[in-house]
Amino acid sequence: MTEFAGHLPGLSTEEVEWRVLDFAAWGESVQVSVPVLSEAQSLALAARVRENARAYLKTRSVAQIVATLDKAVARLLDRDDPWRRKAEALLPIVTGYDAETVRLGLSGYLRTFRAPQLQRFLAEDFANPAVLDAFQPAMKGGFTRAHGPELLLHVWAGNVPGLPLWSLISGLLVKAGTVGKVASAEPLLAGWFARVLGEIDPRMGECLAIVWWKGGDADSEQVWLDQADTVVAFGGNAALTAIRDRAPVTARFLAHGHKIGFGLVSAAALDTRRAGPLARLVAHDVMRYEQQGCYAPQMLFVERGGKISPRDFAEQVSRELAGFARRHPRRALSVAEAAGVASWRNAEEMRAFDGEGRVVLGDAADPWSVVLVEEAEPLAPSGLNRTLKIVAVDRLDDVIPLIAPFRAFLQSAAVAATPEELFRIAALLGEAGVTRICAFGRMTAPEAGWHNDGRFNLLDLVTITEIEQSAELAAEGFADYVD
Amino acid sequence: MTEAEIIEALLAFIDRDGATEAEFERVALDVFAYQFANNQPYRRFAIQRARTTLTVRHWRDIPAVPITAFKDLTLSCSPPERAQRVFMTSGTTQGGVRGCSYHPMLSVYDRSMLVNFRARLMKGLERIEMGILFPDEEAMPNSSLAHYLALAKRECGTAASEGFIGADGLDLARLIAALERAQASGQPYALLGASYSFVHLLDALAAEGRRFALPEGSRILDTGGFKGQSREMGADAFYDALSDALGVPRSACINMYGMTELSTQFYDDGNATCPPVKSGPHWIRSRVVDPVSGRDLPEGSTGVLVHHDLAHFNCVSAILTEDAGIMVEGGFRLLGRVDGADSKGCSLAVAEFLKAARG
Repeated sequence: MTEFAGHLPGLSTEEVEWRVLDFAAWGESVQVSVPVLSEAQSLALAARVRENARAYLKTRSVAQIVATLDKAVARLLDRDDPWRRKAEALLPIVTGYDAETVRLGLSGYLRTFRAPQLQRFLAEDFANPAVLDAFQPAMKGGFTRAHGPELLLHVWAGNVPGLPLWSLISGLLVKAGTVGKVASAEPLLAGWFARVLGEIDPRMGECLAIVWWKGGDADSEQVWLDQADTVVAFGGNAALTAIRDRAPVTARFLAHGHKIGFGLVSAAALDTRRAGPLARLVAHDVMRYEQQGCYAPQMLFVERGGKISPRDFAEQVSRELAGFARRHPRRALSVAEAAGVASWRNAEEMRAFDGEGRVVLGDAADPWSVVLVEEAEPLAPSGLNRTLKIVAVDRLDDVIPLIAPFRAFLQSAAVAATPEELFRIAALLGEAGVTRICAFGRMTAPEAGWHNDGRFNLLDLVTITEIEQSAELAAEGFADYVD
Repeated sequence: MTEAEIIEALLAFIDRDGATEAEFERVALDVFAYQFANNQPYRRFAIQRARTTLTVRHWRDIPAVPITAFKDLTLSCSPPERAQRVFMTSGTTQGGVRGCSYHPMLSVYDRSMLVNFRARLMKGLERIEMGILFPDEEAMPNSSLAHYLALAKRECGTAASEGFIGADGLDLARLIAALERAQASGQPYALLGASYSFVHLLDALAAEGRRFALPEGSRILDTGGFKGQSREMGADAFYDALSDALGVPRSACINMYGMTELSTQFYDDGNATCPPVKSGPHWIRSRVVDPVSGRDLPEGSTGVLVHHDLAHFNCVSAILTEDAGIMVEGGFRLLGRVDGADSKGCSLAVAEFLKAARG
């Protein structure tokens, strides 16, 4: 089976050179052809997208754009739609996540992009979203209008299905001519979404392109970086630094680096009735997408003093992970990933020899690992792919110095605590650099309008044009009705 | 067995012409029994894996210790403070923590190194003039590579052999003079050292516009990779450049694969094509395993290498590396380090975290 990735308005399949990427998982395989554009083709495509967006997308109202996006999302939510069927069939093979995880994940994710959620998204960043359509009166006097980028370049990374849609949709909401570079690890979904948009509104489909180049291919990347006035990039700090250093100094550069998620469990949540369901939610967050997304927990801090001890809670989480392993098998790991898991677990085992207070739960061959540590330990990544460290602490407040040194890597934290504790600890977490606090079970499903990495995802993309009061008053002097 | 008995048995085993798997297994089980009895952390590790002298019947069942354990545990059968030499890893991979290998005496290490080195690099030559691109033992007393190269120079080098890396780095002028002499003499010459030092040499020669055609029979031995000490080069580009700059064919450019956590080295038979097949002598055997379960993978599958080095008798003989490999006819192909992949999403993974922590 061969599938063509990308979305290249104005270019026919025959004109373009294609490279084939092979994917195999769950006993099936698929070949994905990704476009390799010449410099001339890239330049022409950039010009076309910029011009089409100027001539069409920027003339549409935000409400019209929301309506079109809503229709496209509805198509992908409809399990009988051919695009949705294709996504359910191919994404498990491409990403390795099990079919059920892909299906549930897609639906959960896409639901946050229906019309009401998109309106919430807009309302989060703009007191008056009409500012994207026309000049609106400003509180201080005068008028303001927000303009999206002429050409917005997204550089996506990773294989968590749907993540690219977040920034893609943000750009379209602010009427940006949009070019997205898909990752080799999941090159399909963004292109399908663009093509669905094109089926619903052909002219809108010509305002965006989905392209590919091999990660680290500086020459291809440079061509696109030179064309963009705004760049949104995802990836590790080394990759982001390389992109930032090559982006024109006049371009706005918005980076989303890798993050490490964690959770806090108060003693109040650890009684015999509540601990079981909570352990299942924790295990769910660990299992969903194999901890590949930045919002997934890699470490858990559990307060002592509850009816259930941290040790017993760790056992419960382990049992739940064992249960999930049967219903949602772990995706096949590459040698490097398996080595990462093994080396993390081995290191923990070796430290467990050295003394009391560290227990490695489960068997080395289990498709999950939980380590319980009785002594406070600073935040650190786990081996990913269903590996979790649980650290016992005397008080939730003890967690703050353990996470504070890693401010640049903080983002999501789940909290299970009483309302009073939640607000007290949230204040401390926020000061330390945490930008998203959610419930267990919801870590991998941020709510609509989420401020990714604590930023205003739409506001960061626009520039404001202001008509100052002086201009307005001066114009009065030139009116033909002036006395 | 006592330490003296183990040493005697191993020296005799190394001196044999070869060994069948059954013969290797007999000694391996003796060495395991010795380590199980005398190395307490290893004993606890083996018991936790349910592998004891009662349950282990085959060399493949002897539990392999992950190399990270050398950083956390003191793995030595004899009291570590009585060790004649302690070899330490460079500490570049794990936040400055260095793994230690204790050698109560170097007789087995040296015999293992020399017998193998003569077979794989000297190939019948009694001595050869050597140039060493690595600091000497005085500068780096805990470096197993410094010791290895000193041993090579002392036992297999001619009197004219010398080292070219001093406190100020590469002594290019002296090295160029040596290469000129070697080129004029018509006698084969051997250049041995760290892979990254060869990159520095290549860059320096290119800057001076110098090229050499070393006499027939000359050879190059590089080891250890680039470790961030020089620019990274692909294997083909590296050996092409060496061959071009020094006039030594790629088939005479040998890469040694060794580790501080071993007392025996692996070699290839030249790098005419990459990656070449690596192999070791009869007292070391390798397996390719699934790193998570530790089970053997079928020949032809890529996994992580486990080495079982009888000569590393005082620490542990079976180690689980962080190197990817694939078993092939006559040895294995080395496919590079696997220290955990980046996440496939936006999750921070260990490697990037450590890099950031180091600054």
